[in-house]
Amino acid sequence: MVKFLKPNKAVILLQGRYAGRKAVIVRAFDDGTRDRPYGHCLVAGINKYPSKVIRKDSSKKTAKKSRVKAFVKLVNFQHLMPTRYTLDVDLKDVVAVESLQSRDKKVTAAKETKKRLEERFKSGKNRWFFTKLRF
Amino acid sequence: MVAAKKTKKTHESINNRLALVMKSGKYTLGYKTVLKSLRNSKGKLVIIANNCPPLRKSEIEYYAMLAKVGVHHYNGNNVDLGTACGKYYRVCCLSIVDPGDSDIIKSMPGEH
Repeated sequence: MVKFLKPNKAVILLQGRYAGRKAVIVRAFDDGTRDRPYGHCLVAGINKYPSKVIRKDSSKKTAKKSRVKAFVKLVNFQHLMPTRYTLDVDLKDVVAVESLQSRDKKVTAAKETKKRLEERFKSGKNRWFFTKLRF
Repeated sequence: MVAAKKTKKTHESINNRLALVMKSGKYTLGYKTVLKSLRNSKGKLVIIANNCPPLRKSEIEYYAMLAKVGVHHYNGNNVDLGTACGKYYRVCCLSIVDPGDSDIIKSMPGEH
């Protein structure tokens, strides 16, 4: 009876090219829109997870290993698995529905989310979100 | 060791309450609609048959945990649950949206 598909919820994508990737809900459209008459949400997720960093690595190698590739997508609720985790990253100003209209806007949105996710990863918080889901 | 042997009396009372919900309330039958009702927070109680596949059962329980909705494990398989709903088909899981005149929601969550 509690709505749980809210912004900042961590979810796992189940279908599509990004199946198995973790993402965070940026904006939820519970009743759908004219183009998408079903419940869906705008998610920002990780396309390529950061690799494991060990103590032996030089700083150049650490920087290279901590890179994250991000994506932005509109997903049907049915193709998500919600989790109990949340990720408090402010992505509302960066990611919007208009940024999915054209290719270059999508790229800039993805680049900006990549930057924010990388700094969150480097801070060491939300470790679960940045580990690959093994299946 | 089963936690508490489900006596015939409580089993009958669940069936009675379920029959009342079928008559006077709103409900959805089936896995897909159960998840839908949990996602848009319309479901108030979820009932799962005992021969539901364990992965599906865990998934429904997880969704119900997120939505803070009670789950009742019905003492019977999907054939029995379908019969209890008055249907001539099997029902593996169902979600009660509006209990109508029944007190199933107030009395059930105390049990499990």
